[in-house]
Amino acid sequence: MWVPTLSAATRRLWHFLLDRVREVQARRARYWERYVSNCEPEARGLKLLREWLSPEQRAQFDAERYFDVIGCHSGKRYRIRYGSSANVDELDDAGVPRTGWCFVPNAYLVAGDVMLAQKIALETNERAALAVANRFPRTLPSAPAFTMVRSRGF
Amino acid sequence: MAIQIVMDHSGDTRHHFDTDDVEAVAAAERRFNELMFAGFTAAIRNASGDTMVTRAFDPTAKETLFYPRLVGG
Repeated sequence: MWVPTLSAATRRLWHFLLDRVREVQARRARYWERYVSNCEPEARGLKLLREWLSPEQRAQFDAERYFDVIGCHSGKRYRIRYGSSANVDELDDAGVPRTGWCFVPNAYLVAGDVMLAQKIALETNERAALAVANRFPRTLPSAPAFTMVRSRGF
Repeated sequence: MAIQIVMDHSGDTRHHFDTDDVEAVAAAERRFNELMFAGFTAAIRNASGDTMVTRAFDPTAKETLFYPRLVGG
């Protein structure tokens, strides 16, 4: 008597679970499509950047999310960090960032494109790039030196 | 085949053209000049991977990249 009722209930439960699984799969597919379409420009920019980096720069970028370039006029080393503004550092001889430079294309571009434009500018026409760039300090000003006041002993 | 890559908000737009096709090369030259007039910078890569900035259309360049004018950020 109970067996047909149980098997019918099991079938209904099974169909219910299948419907839920299909619903989740459809939602996941819609979410993934939206995610990929939103990220596509960023991905294209990074792909183009990687195509134009030297093998050493590409390896450095893959490992550290930044790469170094040598200025064509001064021979100075610059570090271009992942980003689209205030992302270029001038390094000193020890490789420590000392001065920041900010120069960007005058149209909206994704980070990879901005970084590639900065790289080409520094490697082919450093003076022109720095002529338009804004400069900012990369190190915090050192704390003022307080003279120690000796307390008077009693 | 050669390619002109123009950076834009979508990442980039790529224009392929046949270097043996006179009309396609003329169209590529027109595009080059229009982008130069709009303030873009054109960069080409030689066989060894070195990048050079160019101000004149080079019909033999396999890959030309255009990026907008740089300004202080």
